[in-house]
Amino acid sequence: MRRSLIGRTWPNVIAVVLFVFFAFPVYWMISTAFKPTKDIVSKTPVFIPFEATLEHFKTAVNVPKFWTYTANSFIVTVLAVAISLVIATLASFAIARMRFRGRKTFVLVIMAAQMAPWEVMTIAVYLISRDNEMLNSLVPLTAFYMMMVLPFTIWTLRGFIAAVPKELEESAMVDGCTRTQAFVKVIFPLLAPGLMSTSLFGFITAWNEFPLVLIINKTDGQTLPLWLSSFQTAFGNDWGATMAASTLFALPVLILFVFLQRKAVGGLTDGAVKG
Amino acid sequence: MKRQLIAAVGVAAMVVGLAACGSDAKKDENNNASGNSSTAADGGKKDYSGKTLKVWLMTGSAPKGWDEAVKTEFETTYPGSKVEYQIQEWTGIGPKVTAALSEGSVDVLEIGNTQTAGYASTGGLLDITKDKAALGGADWAPNQSESAILDGKQYAAPWFVTNRVVSYNKDLWAKAGLTTTPKTLEEFYTALDKLKATQGVADPIYMPGQEWYVYFGLLTSEGGKLAKKEGDKWVGGLSSPEAQKAFDTYKKLQSYSVLGGKDKDEAKPQQKDIFGQGDIGSIIGLGWELPDEKAMAKDKIGFFPLPGKTADKPSGVFLGGSNLAIAQASKNSDMAKDFLKIALNDKNEGAVAASGLIPNKASLNDKVVGDFASAAKLASGVGGITPTHPNWASVENDPNPIKEFLTSALTGDYATAAKKADDEIAKRLNAKQ
Amino acid sequence: MAVHSERVQTQSPDSGKGAVATIETGAARGGGSGTPKKSARPADGRSLGSRFAPYLLLLPATVATLGLLGWPLLKTVLVSFQNLNARQLVQHLTEWNGFENYTEQLSDPEFWSVTGRSVAFTALNVFLIMVGGALVGLLLNRLGKKMRLLLSIGLLLAWAMPVVASTTVYTWLFETNFGVVNWLLDTLGWHSMAAYNWTGTQYSTFFVILLLLVWGSIPFVAFNMYAALTTIPKELYEAARMDGAGPVKIFTAVMFPNLKPFFLATTFLEVIWIFKAFTQIYAIKAGGPDGLTRTLPIHAFLEGSGRQHYGTGAAIAVLTILILGVLMAYYFRIILKQEDEL
Repeated sequence: MRRSLIGRTWPNVIAVVLFVFFAFPVYWMISTAFKPTKDIVSKTPVFIPFEATLEHFKTAVNVPKFWTYTANSFIVTVLAVAISLVIATLASFAIARMRFRGRKTFVLVIMAAQMAPWEVMTIAVYLISRDNEMLNSLVPLTAFYMMMVLPFTIWTLRGFIAAVPKELEESAMVDGCTRTQAFVKVIFPLLAPGLMSTSLFGFITAWNEFPLVLIINKTDGQTLPLWLSSFQTAFGNDWGATMAASTLFALPVLILFVFLQRKAVGGLTDGAVKG
Repeated sequence: MKRQLIAAVGVAAMVVGLAACGSDAKKDENNNASGNSSTAADGGKKDYSGKTLKVWLMTGSAPKGWDEAVKTEFETTYPGSKVEYQIQEWTGIGPKVTAALSEGSVDVLEIGNTQTAGYASTGGLLDITKDKAALGGADWAPNQSESAILDGKQYAAPWFVTNRVVSYNKDLWAKAGLTTTPKTLEEFYTALDKLKATQGVADPIYMPGQEWYVYFGLLTSEGGKLAKKEGDKWVGGLSSPEAQKAFDTYKKLQSYSVLGGKDKDEAKPQQKDIFGQGDIGSIIGLGWELPDEKAMAKDKIGFFPLPGKTADKPSGVFLGGSNLAIAQASKNSDMAKDFLKIALNDKNEGAVAASGLIPNKASLNDKVVGDFASAAKLASGVGGITPTHPNWASVENDPNPIKEFLTSALTGDYATAAKKADDEIAKRLNAKQ
Repeated sequence: MAVHSERVQTQSPDSGKGAVATIETGAARGGGSGTPKKSARPADGRSLGSRFAPYLLLLPATVATLGLLGWPLLKTVLVSFQNLNARQLVQHLTEWNGFENYTEQLSDPEFWSVTGRSVAFTALNVFLIMVGGALVGLLLNRLGKKMRLLLSIGLLLAWAMPVVASTTVYTWLFETNFGVVNWLLDTLGWHSMAAYNWTGTQYSTFFVILLLLVWGSIPFVAFNMYAALTTIPKELYEAARMDGAGPVKIFTAVMFPNLKPFFLATTFLEVIWIFKAFTQIYAIKAGGPDGLTRTLPIHAFLEGSGRQHYGTGAAIAVLTILILGVLMAYYFRIILKQEDEL
């Protein structure tokens, strides 16, 4: 097929424009964080921070209990994601591969559960936590964050499991594997990309959660979103510090994305070769 | 692959373990607390050893070193006791305090003076009317103490207030040929006119349209109220002639500000940053609303209270401040009272005054130092607070009808704007509790 | 590397789903000719143990859902029938008030305008996201390796930004005096925008929120679209071309039928996510100015937690769930039908 020069160029031009559209806010966040205040509050924007400074990061990190917040965020997020993956793997295997009474109901509930408006259920969650003396602890936070990501995790993993041809599993069983062994040896490796992508989703959800932790953990067990939001009130429009805080907050997620992306590919090809 | 699964199961088991530990620890703590309080209750002897008092302070409130000084004094007076501070953010503080009061997880707490009546009406605050004298209540400034009184009972001790004054750029004022600070509003207008005509002045006064605290002060001067009780219902007061007169002054002041958006308040963007650009003649603000030292040196800024219509007294101000209260659900209420005695004694309250805040009694006013505070002190006597109504805090909730009223009245018809705001204020105040 | 990072992406959340759907329909077509359900089971499914196996596997998920979602949901429903304000909360009082919270809301014009706004807002947003995402996905499919990597990196950055952070960044981009957007518009010659206050009016505030949501949501749709496109066998295109089909015809005849599961699943998720969007709207202007950008979740939060009328908030929450359920009913039917075919 012959295409004109313009025909070949325009997709690239659009791609560049779109790249700028999507990447610019992230770039602007990071560059603002490094700029000295006079360059931030300036009538003409400074696009490249030649005089980079770490001052704003210092302000952001020097908030009391910053490291406690960070540790809490990591503990809660990682545990919530890990637990939901375990529970979801079991459940999604059942609904993708087995036929039983109540299966449809379960699928329906899982779908409906994705609609749960958690932000408006905070008071109910608070009352439950309070009446069970579970406030200011990481336990309810972990449990509820786990639940926030569980439906999506089940829903997605189910797709990944169903995508594995049944014949693979069956042939393993013909070779003398039990069904469990067949699952562990055949399906699980092929599931890696699914596990990766769902854990990414879970990580972001739990990492971002704000309204719930605000009310249930007022003295201990606070997490980073609270720190980030307190920044905006405490520092008004100290945009440098706010952007430094946002950068730090976004960093783990960005790293995880890059890291898990590769792993996911590895898992996929591994599985394919073995299969 | 197996290893991964096992690891996952291990994690799950660990969580269960953690959960069990968590709840056990909690129970132990409760047992300890109740055990101790029963022993302390019967003997008149004050022994708080082994007990911990949980105190909530708001971020940025207590002057530097105040909290540690009070903690040390308390812990030496009552050996073996402990004071534990939690610093809270203002974001979403209402529901947070309510929740904490319902849990009994806090003993002493700092609360905004305009919110005190609201918390008191929930039944969450301890009635300290009987302890008022012991806390120095006889000398409390009535216009501060008033905020903590509901139905004749005292629910908190006033701690400090602060109020807004005019901060001005000395260089620009000198450039405009102004050598003295104005004593009346008329003089102030003249000064602003001169500034306006001076080169290098972007705004003689920077004043966004939604500075409702300034309007509140003017309203107080005119003898008006934002809301008052009529029969058993509350009605908004913005349609009154006093409110209209106060608004005329407000509008006149605001008209000098070109940069101040009519739908903006003083916080977004922060007026101190605008002021810091160096081309603004003056702002009306609080003591902490000063530009970065780097942007503008401290000695370049002067202060005076916003003048009144006559020279004998300045315009009224809104007395924003904090009270200290004890939670009704506190298991350590005696200890909490003794904490308040120490926290509010003349030495510690003097430190509050020395930091530039208006202390809770006039006798300590001579301890107030600093250019800002000296100016603020002059106006604090004619200051007032918002109506002590349990629902008042909900009026200030976004969208704050008073702010919206100011914007509408500045850009449109006064009567319509006032009517709309009054209806909304009445609706919120008369809402079920 | 280039190929890698972007392939991974495509394999992410939805490729599975897309594939599933294809398999499901395949199975329905192939084995649908009256294969009895039971005989489809593998041979080992006879013993008592394996009859209970699915239930055992579902047990943790069921327990978690009942305890951690069902309970709060039930509690929300219970609270919606109570007069629960700050006083009742502090004193642990339970005051039942029947349907009062509901009648109050249903007769409140503001509730209905918020509802209408929520639906319109969701529809517009999801439309833009789906169209934009599909177009970007098509573009990804068409680009050369290098450009595809570049665009993928941009999309990835936007996708990976935590909402709390990106909302803060957008506030900064659209800041009145020093925001780069106003500077750009001013520089381009639109001088009245030099100090434009984006959160001053309903539509400009919605514009910022909309842009933020679209910016953050397109990557997900685009990557999934691209993944779904790669599952379409090349032969199909060739066959269509040989039949003389133009680009439009290729899209409607070849691509769309294969992409239907993708569109269904993604639209389903986007409708839910946009309808429930909270942080973005709340952090930009807290439903302002004048309450004009309140959507249902924001309304429930402000009336409930904000004003501490928790019963009212819970009633709005329940109504929100019901409305979302109605909006989703169509999808539930389609997806359940698919389950039947499996």
